[in-house]
Amino acid sequence: MTTRIDLWWLPRAVLLGLLAFIIFGPLTNLLLWTVAEKWYFPHMLPLDYGFGFWQRVFSPRGNAMVSLGSSIVIASLTVVVSLALAIPAGYALSRLRLPFRGLFLLAFLIPQAFPNLPVYVNIARFFYQIGLNGTIAGVVLVHVTHGLVYAVWIATAAFSAVDVDLEEAARSIGAGPFRAFRDITLPLAAPGLLASAIFVFLESLDEFTGTYFVGAPDVTTLPLLLYTASSGGNYQIASITALLLLIPSIGFMLVVERFLRADVLSKVGH
Amino acid sequence: MKQRLLAVLLVLPALAMIIVFFIVPLLASIIGAFEVEGAFGLGNFSKSFELYSSDMIFTALIVSASTLLIGVFSIAIGGYLTLGENPLAVAVLRWLYRWPMFIPFIVVGQILRTFLAKNGLMNNILVSAGLLTPLQTVGFLDWRGIVIAFVWKQTPFVTLLVSGAMASLDRGTIEAARNLGASRLRILVEIIVPQVAPTILVGLILSFVTMMSVLSVPLMINAQSPTMLTADIAFRINAHGDYGVANALGLISLVMTAGVAFLYLRQTVKERS
Amino acid sequence: MKTFINTGILLGLAMSPAAAADLTVLTAGDQNMVDYVNDYLGPLFEKENPDVKVRAVGTGPGDAGSQKIVERFDAQAKANVENWDADVAVVHEKFAGPMVKAGYLEAYRSKIPSGEMVTSDKARMALGTNVDGYVMPMFSSQTAIAYNPALIPNPPKTYAELAEWARQNPKQFGYNGIKGGASGVSFVMGWIYAFGDGDANKLMNGPFEEAETRKWDKAFAQLKEFSTNATLTPGNAGTLDMLSRGEIAMGPVWVDMFYSWQADGKLPPEMKLFLPEPGMPGQPMHYVIPAKSPNQEIARKFVALATSPKVQAEGIVKRFNWYPGIDAKFVQPELDKASWDKLFVDISPDDLATKAKPFPIAPYNSAILEAYEKNVAN
Repeated sequence: MTTRIDLWWLPRAVLLGLLAFIIFGPLTNLLLWTVAEKWYFPHMLPLDYGFGFWQRVFSPRGNAMVSLGSSIVIASLTVVVSLALAIPAGYALSRLRLPFRGLFLLAFLIPQAFPNLPVYVNIARFFYQIGLNGTIAGVVLVHVTHGLVYAVWIATAAFSAVDVDLEEAARSIGAGPFRAFRDITLPLAAPGLLASAIFVFLESLDEFTGTYFVGAPDVTTLPLLLYTASSGGNYQIASITALLLLIPSIGFMLVVERFLRADVLSKVGH
Repeated sequence: MKQRLLAVLLVLPALAMIIVFFIVPLLASIIGAFEVEGAFGLGNFSKSFELYSSDMIFTALIVSASTLLIGVFSIAIGGYLTLGENPLAVAVLRWLYRWPMFIPFIVVGQILRTFLAKNGLMNNILVSAGLLTPLQTVGFLDWRGIVIAFVWKQTPFVTLLVSGAMASLDRGTIEAARNLGASRLRILVEIIVPQVAPTILVGLILSFVTMMSVLSVPLMINAQSPTMLTADIAFRINAHGDYGVANALGLISLVMTAGVAFLYLRQTVKERS
Repeated sequence: MKTFINTGILLGLAMSPAAAADLTVLTAGDQNMVDYVNDYLGPLFEKENPDVKVRAVGTGPGDAGSQKIVERFDAQAKANVENWDADVAVVHEKFAGPMVKAGYLEAYRSKIPSGEMVTSDKARMALGTNVDGYVMPMFSSQTAIAYNPALIPNPPKTYAELAEWARQNPKQFGYNGIKGGASGVSFVMGWIYAFGDGDANKLMNGPFEEAETRKWDKAFAQLKEFSTNATLTPGNAGTLDMLSRGEIAMGPVWVDMFYSWQADGKLPPEMKLFLPEPGMPGQPMHYVIPAKSPNQEIARKFVALATSPKVQAEGIVKRFNWYPGIDAKFVQPELDKASWDKLFVDISPDDLATKAKPFPIAPYNSAILEAYEKNVAN
């Protein structure tokens, strides 16, 4: 028995090693750039290491921490609003008889599918007219329109995957429709819904063009700073900023996972 | 009838959100696509096809190829997470695969550019490990770089969805098939994948759409022509201030994605009836 | 129900009025432009005007960055906003003309003391549009060819020699086409100035004649052949990036970007620049003030400070190695000789006088770009 396991470890180790290289190779690159003070050809690794660029990012006028804070607030609100809209919509799209269902689903796809650059001017103009420009609410709305496709499509898939019979069984023993939904369908669909929450959160943390048009100069987020740095080739500043952005992303995922494991997974399959 | 009304009411808030805050502003752009110097016409479209038809094909090919690879990898990883027998290997893989998801696209572009280049970190590591000689190194900063960047960033996204769906499958059938001596590969292909197919499709379509609209990756990785439509749109706007052709290209891109989404919708409608 | 509660929270958060004495500076360009305002100019201005707070917003490098500022103004103009949310903007030359034509800008140059110190033609005409009075140049930027003297001890001196060198050293010359930023565009414009059959001066100064646009066929055919022997790089930063990794030995770059890459340790310190004959285009970055900025007076004060000889010497030349925006003769007395000479290490003042060209006027500019797309990129 033991020898068999040992043999299997060979391909396993090779494959996992390869995967680790593919995933961590580029990430190592990111980490090296955060502390590289001097790095150019023909040197394989940085010539000088240091935290000089960290000082620039965290200089009192650099606004990094404030931007990080507003990024987290915006992303969290985007998740809450998106899920609040997507759960009823997803339920209706998967369970109820809805005319033009396909068209509804397509509509949610449009904000992602039409390259946004030419549209932002119109959105900004509209937001100026209704006074939403320069507000957190405005930025959240823009992010929600982009995040909804993940939330609604994944919610629809998640509700479709839940067995209708379970809900009907609950109804037949006297549970009201809302109770059957809350106690049976929602918990069973929760893994999918929470996965969609992660994507909406990350989508919001990845967005900068909309934030510029609708939020700046009053609302600045970390991705906005990241964009200027990265597209100009300021590798060090961009890498440090990206590293900062990892904190909320991974934190959010850990919270969601914890919630998933404790509350929901135990119910799945029962 | 009552049920239909309820359904519409449930969808309405989300739909209103999209319509008010995106589709209405979008309409002006769509109208703009048909406007040439104040008059309506198809001039912007003919110019788009004249200048950028190879870019359209390139975009479709790149995004389709990436989607295909993402599908294969996410099923493979998800399958191993579900069927893997060694808890340690499963745990390592589960810990490993997700990281790229958290890196914003623009940073993916940046780090892969300095990683995949001819004298980038990847080749430097391979050379110093003795796996390559300096003369054998190749850079990947062309269409391959875009595909690699897309697959690298999007595979975890689809895998997370797919492995979640796989985990909530009924273990009974899988165990039964296993007891009958079916290989794990066969169980994956014949039992698991068909059951989670809708989730795989949703994940892939969402990836497809996302990749169609990413600007930073083609801008930072691929310098060659042809390039992706998003880069052309940015170029029309920034260099020429030409919103007409930009909007026409946007509309073409929208039609391409809508086509893919439509295939999926037709399939689910069939399933439901 | 949940939705309503959320909306309530959102509306609560929406109440975040900006303080009255905020001076908002939108700046296109690289990170170093944002840093310049944040680390140097802002604190300096706040020291003189303690009740004002300067905030800088970067809109990204290259034309895309300036375009985003134009679009922001467009949106506010179309929405009939009374008080715009930007007080000062820094934009590329190319975008000054459209902004003046659209009536977005305030003519303020005559109202500030440094206005008289501007002598450059580029402050009067921006790619064929009269912008006289509306702009103050922040600094002049120039494109040049960067190279590694360790690999190329004797760099070519003219475009013709450069083309020959690239033929003999395939893939060692890199440029970023026309879609990845203006350093590549500038190289192409210089190519047309050098090899086009028309009159280069007419391209730079106008007037626009349709016939002129048909005189480039031969030049583009040569450029296509040249490009097959060259490496195409992803963007302005992409050229510097490949230079830094030794994948190309030579390529067109913005002088200011080149120096800031060197300062950030991303380029070998021994790398140098040269300007090939007959020259390559450069352009100034301009300070503009929107006509509907609510803080006109503070904005003018800010630009006056930014274009004063002292700041131009201390900030623009000494700190960033940029060529001053106002006439150099007002700046030179403010500087020690060493700092002044550092500006001209690679490119002499004579070179600048003869080989620093403007970009072609807007209609030729567009025509060349489109001809490139049809003839070279395909």
